[in-house]
Amino acid sequence: MDINEDLLKKTVEIAKREGAKELIAKLVKRQEHQIRFSNSAIDISKQWNLDVLELFLSIGHKINVISIQNPTIEKLNQEIPKAVQNLKKLPRSLLYWGMDKNNYSYSPIEGLYDSRIQDFSDKAPELVNAAIDASLEAGAKKTAGVLYFGDLKTGVMTGYGNGGIYDSSYFRITVRAFVDAESSGQDMVVGRDLTRVESKFIDAGKNAGKLAKMAVGGQQGKAGKYDVILSPTVGGNILNHILDGANILYIIGRMSCLRGIKMGQKIGPANLTISDNATISEGLNSRPFDFEGTISQETPLIKNGNLAGYIQNTSSAKIWRLLKMLKFKFRTGIRTTGNSYLGGVLDEDIGPKLLAPIPSNYVYQPGDYSLDEIIADSKKPTIYITSNWYTRFTNYVEGSFSTIPRDGMFLIEDGEIKKPVRKLRLTETLLGMLSRISAIGKEVKQINWWEVSTPTFIPTIKVADCNITAATQ
Amino acid sequence: MDDGKDIADYVIDFGTAKGASYVEARFVDSWDESYTTRNGMFLGILENTKKGIGIRVIADGGMGFGSTEQLNKATIEKVITAIIKMAKASKRKEPIVFSEEKVEEVSWKTEVKQQFQDVSREDKKLYLKNMDNRLKKESNKKLKNRIAHIQLHTEKKYIVTSEGAKNSSFNSLIVTMLMNTARAKVGTEQKMFSIGGTAGWEWFEDINFTEEAVKSGIALVKTAENAINMKFDKPIDVVVSGEVAGIMCHENVGHPSEADRIYGREGAQAGESFYGDLLKKEKLGEATLGTEIVTVIEDPTVPASAGFYLYDDECVKARPRYLIKNGKLNELLLNREFAAKFNTKSNAAARAVTYNREPISRMANTFFEPGDFSKEELIAGVKEGILMNSFTEWNIDDRRFQSKYVGQEVYLIQNGELTDIMIRRPILELTTVGIFGNVDGISNDYYAPLGLCGKSDPMQGVPVSMGGPHARLRNIRVGGSN
Repeated sequence: MDINEDLLKKTVEIAKREGAKELIAKLVKRQEHQIRFSNSAIDISKQWNLDVLELFLSIGHKINVISIQNPTIEKLNQEIPKAVQNLKKLPRSLLYWGMDKNNYSYSPIEGLYDSRIQDFSDKAPELVNAAIDASLEAGAKKTAGVLYFGDLKTGVMTGYGNGGIYDSSYFRITVRAFVDAESSGQDMVVGRDLTRVESKFIDAGKNAGKLAKMAVGGQQGKAGKYDVILSPTVGGNILNHILDGANILYIIGRMSCLRGIKMGQKIGPANLTISDNATISEGLNSRPFDFEGTISQETPLIKNGNLAGYIQNTSSAKIWRLLKMLKFKFRTGIRTTGNSYLGGVLDEDIGPKLLAPIPSNYVYQPGDYSLDEIIADSKKPTIYITSNWYTRFTNYVEGSFSTIPRDGMFLIEDGEIKKPVRKLRLTETLLGMLSRISAIGKEVKQINWWEVSTPTFIPTIKVADCNITAATQ
Repeated sequence: MDDGKDIADYVIDFGTAKGASYVEARFVDSWDESYTTRNGMFLGILENTKKGIGIRVIADGGMGFGSTEQLNKATIEKVITAIIKMAKASKRKEPIVFSEEKVEEVSWKTEVKQQFQDVSREDKKLYLKNMDNRLKKESNKKLKNRIAHIQLHTEKKYIVTSEGAKNSSFNSLIVTMLMNTARAKVGTEQKMFSIGGTAGWEWFEDINFTEEAVKSGIALVKTAENAINMKFDKPIDVVVSGEVAGIMCHENVGHPSEADRIYGREGAQAGESFYGDLLKKEKLGEATLGTEIVTVIEDPTVPASAGFYLYDDECVKARPRYLIKNGKLNELLLNREFAAKFNTKSNAAARAVTYNREPISRMANTFFEPGDFSKEELIAGVKEGILMNSFTEWNIDDRRFQSKYVGQEVYLIQNGELTDIMIRRPILELTTVGIFGNVDGISNDYYAPLGLCGKSDPMQGVPVSMGGPHARLRNIRVGGSN
C-alpha cells in the first residue's frame, strides 16, 4: 500500500484555489482483518479495505468536512469546489477557533509498524486456534473471542504545510473462556510487535481458561460496602471516564465530573499519576502527529493525585483561554497538546464531524505492589472484579454510575481469595472512587477492547469502601 | 444504484465460480445529513454520502465477510478470493449452514411524503433553532445545557444471494437526540431524550416533535426542582410508562431472545443469554417468564417505526414475532444461521447497520402487547406506589437477567390517586422474572422512543423503538432515593 503524496498536494492546492482559508487533508489506506470465534471455533473471518480522503475545510469559524472514497484527481476536482461552496453557506461552528499554524520537525516513533503484519492473515486462524486450545487445556469447556489486526498507511497535509506520511500496524485479541454458562474468565493481548505473538496468544487463552475454572461454583454475592480490586480491564473501563472528561467539550457539555475542579486540586492519592501519551510505540493510538499536524507529546492529566491538565487541540485551547478571560482568571500557557482529531460530535460516527481533542493512549504510572501482595494485604472483605461491562450514568457531572462485573469475581477475606461470587453491581461515583484508591499495582498492561475504547496502559487498582448492590427480587 | 446492482450480481457469479457454497452481496448507497446545536448555536452540520458493498460467503463450512467501496471487478475479485480463503482456513468441525427459506425477488420502501432533500438546509436549520427557542422559553431558561441533534438518513439497498433472492429497498430514517441538563436543588438532573421514525421530513409535523421535545424538557426541570428523597421500607406497586416498559422489554426480553447469543456467538462481546439454560430444561411455549397477561411483541413491520423493514438483510420476509405470549417464552429472534441450529425457519431478524458489517440477529420494535386498562385505571388500583414516567441510568448483566432502572420523572401514588409528590431517582434493581412475573395490568395506550441498539464487534448501533403501553408491577422493592 502506498500513499499518493501528489494526491494530498493536489487536494490542498484545489481547496486553497477554491477559497478555503484553512484546511487539512488526511489520506488513509488500510487493510484490516477480524476473526471472531465462539464455541471454540471460528465463526467468521472478515477483511475491510479502505482508501479514503478526509478533507477538513474552514473559512473563519465556518467548517465543512467531506470524505472521498477511493480518491482520484477527477473526484477531487468534482467534490472540493462543491464542498467549498457549501462551506460558505454554513453557520459558524461554536467550537472552531482555528488550527495549528506552527511548523514542526517530526521524529519517527520506532515500532509503529511491524512488517510481519503483511502475511499475518495466513497465520492468524492457526494462532486463534492455538489460543482456543490453550484455554481448553487450562480448564475451559468452550471459548469465545475476537482477533483484530491491521496494516495502515496515513498521510496528513495541512494548509500550513504540516503533516507527513507514516505506516502503522496493530493486533488485539480478546479471549473469553467458559467452564459453564456462569463461570467465565477473560484475558487480552494488545500491541504492534509480532515477536513471539503465538506464545502471547497462548498465554491469553491460558489465563482466560484458568480464571474461568476459578469462577466455578460461584454463588450470589451479598450487597454491601467492600474494598474492591479492579483488574486493568475494569480500571480502564471505569476510571477512563474521568480522564475522558479532561476535555473542554465534555466540560462545556456538562458531561464531565471534572467540571468545577480546579487545576492542581487534589482528586486522588499522591501515588496516582496518569498521562495521555501518543508517543509510546506499542500504544495503539500512537502517531508522530495529530490531525492538525501538531507533534505528538505526553500530556499529564493527573500528577501525584492532583488534576494536572486537559487534552487540547488548537481550537479547544483558544476556547479555554477565552472562557478564562471571561471569568477574569486569565491563564497563560494553555495550548494544543497534539490531540486533535476529526470525529463525530456525539460519537466517533454520530453527528457532524468536528476538529476536537480526543485522547490518544492513557498511561497510568505503576505502583509498588503485585496482585498477590494486594490480595494478601486485603484483610477486610474485598471483591476482586476481573471484567465488567455496561457502565451507565445517572449524572455525568456527578459521575454517578453503576457497572456490571462479569467473568470471574472473587470474595477476599483475611488476605485470601475465599470463593467466587456472582450477580453483583458496582454502584459508585467516579471521583469518590478516585479519592479512595488505596493501592496501585506494579504491572502495567495495555487494554483495548469492546468496553475500553482508548488504549490504556494500566495496572491493577484497589479502591476502598465501594458500594456493591444486587437485585432485590 | 444500477452500477451497484451490476457489481452485486457479478459478486454472485464470481464467488460461486470460485467455489463458495453460498454468496451474498449487499450494495448500499446512503445519504446522511446531520445538525447539532448547543443552546441554539450550531456545533456543525454534515452532509455525507457513502456507497459500498458487503460480501458474505460460506466455503468449506466456514464463513467469510469482506467489504469495499471500490466498485470494480478487479477489486471485487480480490476481496472474494481473500474471504473465501479465510473462510476455508477457519477449519470448522461443524460447518455453518443456513435455514432454507423462500427465495423471492422483491422491492419495498418506506412511505415518504416529503423527501429530506426537498427541504432546504435553511428551513431545517430554522426548525431546529425554533425548537430550541421553544425549549428554552418554556423551561423558563432553566435548562442550562441543551444539546440537540437531528440526523436524516436515506439508504438504497440491493441484496442478492447465490440462491436467487433479490431484494431492493429504500429506507428513510430520522434520529433525534436531545441531551438536557437542568439545575436541581442539589447539583443537576440530566436527560437523554430520543425519538425517531422511518418517514420523510413530514415526520416532524406528524408527530409534533417540537411539542414532544418541550414536554420532555419541562418534565426534567420539574424533576430537578421538586423531586425529593423517599425511602420505601416495604414493597410497593410500580406503574411504568411506555418509555420504561419499553426499555424493560428491549433489555430483559428482546436481547436474551437473540438466538446467536443463546448459542454463544456474542460470548466475548454482548454476552450470552439466560435462555440458554432455560431451554435446556424446558421447551419454547413452556418456560414461564411472566404473568399470563404478559405478551411481548417484536415487530419490524410497524409502519413509520424506527426499526421498520419488510425484508431483512438475508432477504427473509418480516413479520411480528411473539417473544413472550401469555407469560410463556414463545419465540426467538432468528437469522438463517441460528434458525438452522434450532431446526426451524428464520423470522427475519438479520440486520446489518451498513454495507461493511455482517447481518446478525437484531431487534426492531419491541413492546408489550397493549392491554385493557387505561393508565388512570392502573393508577387507581394502587394503594401505595409510584408512577415512573421516565428513566435515566440503566444496565443489565450479559446474560440479561439482573437489570437496573433508575427512575427520573417519578410521582408518588397514594390510595389510587396520583399525587404531585415527585421522588428522586428511585431504583428498580430486578431480575427479568422479578419484573415480568409481577405485572398485573397493562394499559391500552402506546408510546415508543427510539434507541440505537448496540451489539456486535465492531459495534453496530441499529435504530430500534422500544415502548408500548404502561404496565403495573405489584409488590416491588424500590431502592435508592435516600
